[in-house]
Amino acid sequence: MKKYWFIFKTEVMSNMQYILNVLAGFIGYFIMLFIFFNLWKYIYNEPNQIINGYTMSQMIWYVIITEILWSVLSGRKYCAKIIDDVRGGNIAYNVNKPYNYIGYCLATHLGSCFIRAIMYIVLGMFIGLIFLGNFPSLNIFSILAVLITGILATVISTLLLTFIGLFSFIIEDANPFYWVYSKLILVLGTIFPIEYFPTFIQPILKFSPIYVVSYGPAHLFVNFNWAEFINIIIFQFIYIIIAYLMCSLVYKIGVKRLNVNGG
Amino acid sequence: MAIIEINKLSKTFKVKIKDKGLKGSLKAIIKPQYKMVKAVKNISFKVEKGEIIAFIGPNGAGKSTTIKMLTGILYPDKGNIKVLGIDTKLERKKLAYQIGTVFGQKEQLWTHLTPYDNFKFFGAIYDIPESRVEKKIEEFRVLFELDEFINTPVRNLSLGQRIRCEIVASLIHEPKILFLDEPTIGLDPVVKENIRTLIKRMNKEYKTTIFLTSHDVGDIEKLCKRVIIINDGQVVLDDSMENLKYHYLNKKIVEAKMKEKINLDDEEGITILKDKGYNLKIEVDTTKKSVADALKLLNPDKIVDINIANIPLEDIISNIYKKEGTKK
Repeated sequence: MKKYWFIFKTEVMSNMQYILNVLAGFIGYFIMLFIFFNLWKYIYNEPNQIINGYTMSQMIWYVIITEILWSVLSGRKYCAKIIDDVRGGNIAYNVNKPYNYIGYCLATHLGSCFIRAIMYIVLGMFIGLIFLGNFPSLNIFSILAVLITGILATVISTLLLTFIGLFSFIIEDANPFYWVYSKLILVLGTIFPIEYFPTFIQPILKFSPIYVVSYGPAHLFVNFNWAEFINIIIFQFIYIIIAYLMCSLVYKIGVKRLNVNGG
Repeated sequence: MAIIEINKLSKTFKVKIKDKGLKGSLKAIIKPQYKMVKAVKNISFKVEKGEIIAFIGPNGAGKSTTIKMLTGILYPDKGNIKVLGIDTKLERKKLAYQIGTVFGQKEQLWTHLTPYDNFKFFGAIYDIPESRVEKKIEEFRVLFELDEFINTPVRNLSLGQRIRCEIVASLIHEPKILFLDEPTIGLDPVVKENIRTLIKRMNKEYKTTIFLTSHDVGDIEKLCKRVIIINDGQVVLDDSMENLKYHYLNKKIVEAKMKEKINLDDEEGITILKDKGYNLKIEVDTTKKSVADALKLLNPDKIVDINIANIPLEDIISNIYKKEGTKK
């Protein structure tokens, strides 16, 4: 475990070189929130009105949290790197290293998310307070609980991205799969809560990655209750186990197929 | 005791093939076709502890495939490999702790970090206690002269400095064997020489066995006492460097500057390579004619200056490659 902690730490150190890039990403984040703030202000006739179970303030905080999660977890570069490594054969150089490859991926991606997460959380909270002038009713324990679901969401997202990347072992180019996955999370999991979708889709969404990666932590933040927290945590652990097993399986198949023709 | 034992090793790759043009591309989607490429064919050899061995061959000869099988990256189809008594197929992770690898064309360092942080990282992934890593870094800092750039991010290092750090990173866990795949590729002659000196020093100080592949004859000539040549997946020569240089072709190059023009006819054991009147370049096959006899033909009294040299190693090696190529 110590080595994975070290890999995580090393990736955090390495990512500190990119802080300016993260700051540049803030511009897009701010514009997005500004648009949604005005959109929801226009849709809600009065701030206390409730639409699909959300007040205007809850709705905007929901988008603030899902946008933080999206900015931190989207992992386009990470997934593309695995796809390129698999296609180019570079992944072979990890095979004879004394670590578990999935564990290595997890530690590096969590490390690269860490700095971004801190910066986006600070910025998101600041913007929320400026736009809305209020904060959801949370205490230190519920904040901690939301943070735990956020961390687990990062773990799940990393494992799913790793799985998509490693899927290149089987279909040569998994980029289209990443495109579908990322658009699903962005469109169905970031902009609107599950309650906004037709009732027949809602159960499907509640079993989809959207629930554990995006909706769950954001919904807890705006309307915290311990029963839902337990429910989300259980789902998240199930997802982690399944995603890890899927990654291990596809990696095992891939290593067997490994056809590095170097030199 | 042999530290590496390879016995009748073979590896075949399944490579996708495609017919020409759009029609071929469509056909490849519907009915993909493959061909089998035999990269390594039934090779066997042993390497003793502390040896610096050159494993060379033309492009596509099977060098990298063999090295990848030796380091546990690829599984062989047939045959056995034992590295330090470890079966590379069955105990991959155990093997990882015992060997070091440097692939000249594959960066393993974290470019945004300093060499020092990189060394700490490699120490951690090989489960080396921190105090031991510090001690090793200190040792290598002196041995590999890293002082000047140990705290500079790797991305700002020159290629030579980077390769030096790559080698140190692969030595942090004190491997018993170091596999170097083209470690001096792209380096200028001065830096190459520097890297060679360091490799030699490392072999001397730590008794690390070095398994080297390179296209650079200088690396082979200056570092290795034994050379294995592989071509078309087969070992075509396994001999000491001395034998290779002095006995394999048994030829000497004689360059002479003469006082007056000399007419030399081709005769057995002598090949005229260049004849510009006063300047003469001949090749002497010492199995047919001694160098002394060749000099007598030139008439020693008329020689102003003379240079007798071995055939360049590069020519010997390319001759072996060509010979094996024409046998196919």
